[in-house]
Amino acid sequence: MNTFFRRLLDKLLRRKRKVKIGLYGHPNSGKTTLANTICEDWIGRPLGVISDIPHETRSVYKQEEVVIEKDGAKLYFDIIDTPGVATKVDYKNFLKYGLSEREAKERAKEATKGIIEAIKWLDDVTGVLLVMDSTEDPLTQANITIIGNLEARKIPFLIIANKIDLPESSADRISAVFPQHTVVPISALHKENIEELYMEMVKKFR
Amino acid sequence: MEGLRMDFLSSKALEDKSSIEKVSMIIERVKDGDILVLEGSLTPSEEAELIETTMREIDIENFVGIDIHTLEKDEKTLFGFSKKKTVGLTIIGPANVMKTVKKRSNFLSMIAKIGDSSASVH
Repeated sequence: MNTFFRRLLDKLLRRKRKVKIGLYGHPNSGKTTLANTICEDWIGRPLGVISDIPHETRSVYKQEEVVIEKDGAKLYFDIIDTPGVATKVDYKNFLKYGLSEREAKERAKEATKGIIEAIKWLDDVTGVLLVMDSTEDPLTQANITIIGNLEARKIPFLIIANKIDLPESSADRISAVFPQHTVVPISALHKENIEELYMEMVKKFR
Repeated sequence: MEGLRMDFLSSKALEDKSSIEKVSMIIERVKDGDILVLEGSLTPSEEAELIETTMREIDIENFVGIDIHTLEKDEKTLFGFSKKKTVGLTIIGPANVMKTVKKRSNFLSMIAKIGDSSASVH
């Protein structure tokens, strides 16, 4: 049963739906940093390992039963940190981060499996935080494909313009490219504007 | 084969194909080193399926994935009050061949690399 009809049935039966919020986006956009920030703030411990090497997260990580409380309203959800979505994976790109050829090839193989896993999870999530690196061009095929699928499946989502602490960041560029969607500028690393994000999450997903 | 091969497919040529047939056809040609130019676009679920299939086909040494770019055109809505963007063309090619892409409204410029030389497509 697709997500739209499942949600409709839940409403008709007044069944309490379990919200599953997936973190999606390009490799190195800051998904795991954001997942860690949310988990540290609301359950007191981080979720995953972060690094500068792309495709550090190569399988899905899940934290169940997170509760955000803002202005008396509560949002109960599971958080699902997915591997970065890309249309290409070249092991040679990992060599410049000091990995050996064998390690780079292994990482590339795992990254391709991770991308498949991330796409499959689109069937299960009921909300998405689409994390974009605000120092990069947001108009990429991966972002377009993710947004197209979320719209087609009627899955609510917020666009997160991450890394606003960096001087070359431009959250306005993301808003200009996706004017019909809510864009929340944050720095997941420095917890900048993170309260605003929690407010928007409660409004959007509750 | 030496040189760059580009195949242009009209929307008519694709309309009778199922999503699986479209994705298989695209991957097959792109893995052979061809660049495909489609009239119109794939659906979001076909795009997701194309990325998924691409990941299954990556063989580390010879095929590292795809690049997709769309040329959008501005169209007025029914009563002309606002503009919307529709995809005019979709270009799909092997990631190791499609090197530089510049994109602006109603303009797409691409440089494809073939061996030591390069070809430019506007």
